[in-house]
Amino acid sequence: MIRSARTLFVLAMLAALPAQAQTTLNVFMSSALRPEVMQQAFDKFEAANPGIKVTPQLGGATSDLQAQYLNTVMSAKDSTLDVLLLDIIRPAQYAATGWTLPLNQSVGDPAKFLKQYLPAYAEADLVDGKLVALPAFADAMFLYYRKDLLDKYHLPVPKTWSELAKEAKTIQAGEKNPELQGVSFQGAPIEGTVCTFLLPYWSMGKTLVHDGHLTFDKDAALKSFALWTGMVKDGVAPRNVAEIVTDQTRKDFESGKAVFAVLWSYGWNLFQSNDSAVKAKVGVADLPAVDGGKPVSCIGGWQWGVSAYSKHQEEATKLVRYLSSPEVSTLLAEKASLLPVFPDLYKDPAVLQAVPWMAAALPVVETAKARPVTPRYDEVSNTIRTQTNAVLAGSETPEEAVNQMEARLRRVLH
Amino acid sequence: MPENLSRLAGEDDARSASGEGAARSTLPASTGPAATGHRPADPPRAPSPPRRRRRLLDANDAVLARILLAPTFLLLLVIVVYPVCRLIWTSFLEDSLTSGLPPHFVGVENYVSLATDPEFWTALTNTLLITLITVPAALLAGLALALVANLPFQVRWPVRLSLLIPWAIPLAFVGLIGGWFFQSDYGVVNDLLRHVRSTRIIWFNSGWLSFMAICLTITWKTSSFVALVLLAGLQTIPDELYEAASVDGAGVFRRFFSVTLPMLKPSIAVAVIFRMITSLQTFDIPVTMTRGGPGTSTVTLAMYIHQNTIDFLDLGYGSALAVVLFLVSMGVTAFYLRQVSAQP
Repeated sequence: MIRSARTLFVLAMLAALPAQAQTTLNVFMSSALRPEVMQQAFDKFEAANPGIKVTPQLGGATSDLQAQYLNTVMSAKDSTLDVLLLDIIRPAQYAATGWTLPLNQSVGDPAKFLKQYLPAYAEADLVDGKLVALPAFADAMFLYYRKDLLDKYHLPVPKTWSELAKEAKTIQAGEKNPELQGVSFQGAPIEGTVCTFLLPYWSMGKTLVHDGHLTFDKDAALKSFALWTGMVKDGVAPRNVAEIVTDQTRKDFESGKAVFAVLWSYGWNLFQSNDSAVKAKVGVADLPAVDGGKPVSCIGGWQWGVSAYSKHQEEATKLVRYLSSPEVSTLLAEKASLLPVFPDLYKDPAVLQAVPWMAAALPVVETAKARPVTPRYDEVSNTIRTQTNAVLAGSETPEEAVNQMEARLRRVLH
Repeated sequence: MPENLSRLAGEDDARSASGEGAARSTLPASTGPAATGHRPADPPRAPSPPRRRRRLLDANDAVLARILLAPTFLLLLVIVVYPVCRLIWTSFLEDSLTSGLPPHFVGVENYVSLATDPEFWTALTNTLLITLITVPAALLAGLALALVANLPFQVRWPVRLSLLIPWAIPLAFVGLIGGWFFQSDYGVVNDLLRHVRSTRIIWFNSGWLSFMAICLTITWKTSSFVALVLLAGLQTIPDELYEAASVDGAGVFRRFFSVTLPMLKPSIAVAVIFRMITSLQTFDIPVTMTRGGPGTSTVTLAMYIHQNTIDFLDLGYGSALAVVLFLVSMGVTAFYLRQVSAQP
């Protein structure tokens, strides 16, 4: 009797299986972008959508490595990946290659829909009328400073780069520590170095691309180089700046080896961790301006796209809509201090309680500038990073580099 | 000295009559036994099986051989011939995934823009320089290592193991290790140099210092491969040769130049060809050490191909570059092989 009941139960379970068929969505994301916090969002989605399982596929730590991997996978039209987390500089390329599914239908009027997000993302994700991806979280470059050292020497937070250099020199001289760098920024041939070049360039009010045309200002480019090489010459920045990658800046500042650091928002959480030598000694501010210029930051941030080759596009779209919702943005802000993509959340009491400095971050992300939006962005980036790296290393004169830069950018942008 | 040589040579001739010569001199040794060994195998057997049956078997053998070879042939067709032909075809197309346009035929346009692309010439020069520097360097270092490893140690495995380790480490790891070695703040090299100079050298700030650092790293990594090939060659040299040379009064150097080196020639040829082809394809070590920097001063041809195809998604131009690398490798290898086989 019991036995037959058990058999019946098993049979009933088997019969019910096809109805509950599992769909597995593979989500490609960086191992450095807090997968453990993302998992909480996936868990909530799975709970609300029985039958869909979300599996993260962790890729390389840097944007460059992920792009190389995705370029090979997507050009092979591989259907393994369903959802992709893309850097803000990529959507234009994905629009041209057709590697993501346009999400226009699922949101109605895309321009109207994007109004709820920060303006930079509305601009980056809507390419030629196609909604290529949806905003995941925001990012921008900030100035991190040693609050304790500025207080010790009674110095204000610098508003211009020349003030920063002067204050750094005062502190370096006072501390008498030859290991102490004035400022750490990125000079290796990597994506972050593109922002290094653009920060002073933009601060002079110049643009690189306007209305799809190249508006390269040689004079401003030379001044941008002069600002950084001047800091190296004065000993404010380390002589080996051409070796410095993004995470080296984070490590140097975290171990107390730099007074100032130019870095993305991910640094904050790590600086406050127990392993950090500068815990509770760190302040965050807008990046300084050039003399007579406006303060400006470089916008970063990540976008959720649905693979055009996914076999579960309907479910993947559903997941992407959920992941770009205020609910998930709040979760990422509170748990991982990843900046929200909704302006309102920067004033949300719950968010501010978890991450107090976010109130100051809003004006920065609202005014931060975007790197050129073009499907050939990788070529633009490569030109800027190699020339900047060569100038910072001293292996090329700024004049040579500026001429090279213009010639190469003209081939790509016209 | 000429006396000694002629005595050695004379003895060589005398011994070859007694049948030992085949094993003694390199080139006759390789052609000798093959030519003579072939002949006696066939004729004595021929009459034994019935004639008709043998012919049938022969026909079957030929068919069987073709059937057995077919999978290999097909596999080669699919994995070698097709991709190479496709690559050459793509090099005549304008095929850029970011343009949003379908691929179309443009003739030799990619090759024309390649000829006027300064970065291509930098990459080509760097690649050839790396080959010119690291192949002889690895050969010399590898030869020295092989000679050391061939010494009659009581316990041989520690030496052999230390030869194997650099060979077994993946290239990308070697590049990362090299990058840390020459890093200006924490690097071992600068730490050692600190005892000699007061100011530290920033290796990766200078184009040619970065280049030299890369060449040193490549030499370290690849000399163990050369050493392994040469060690195998050294072990085939019969001891009698050295004994005979000693009896004739040859010193250490004389034995090395008149016995070891000539006997080692075939192994050296093999090692150099492999080394040359891999050095023309140098990619992993500069990518992980310098990313081509400072500027473009350490970009190799393989890196430039990767950049154009994988980063820029410009398949047409990348294919044209790959065809050039293919031709350069073929040309250099053919030239070297001709040089080697031309020597008596």
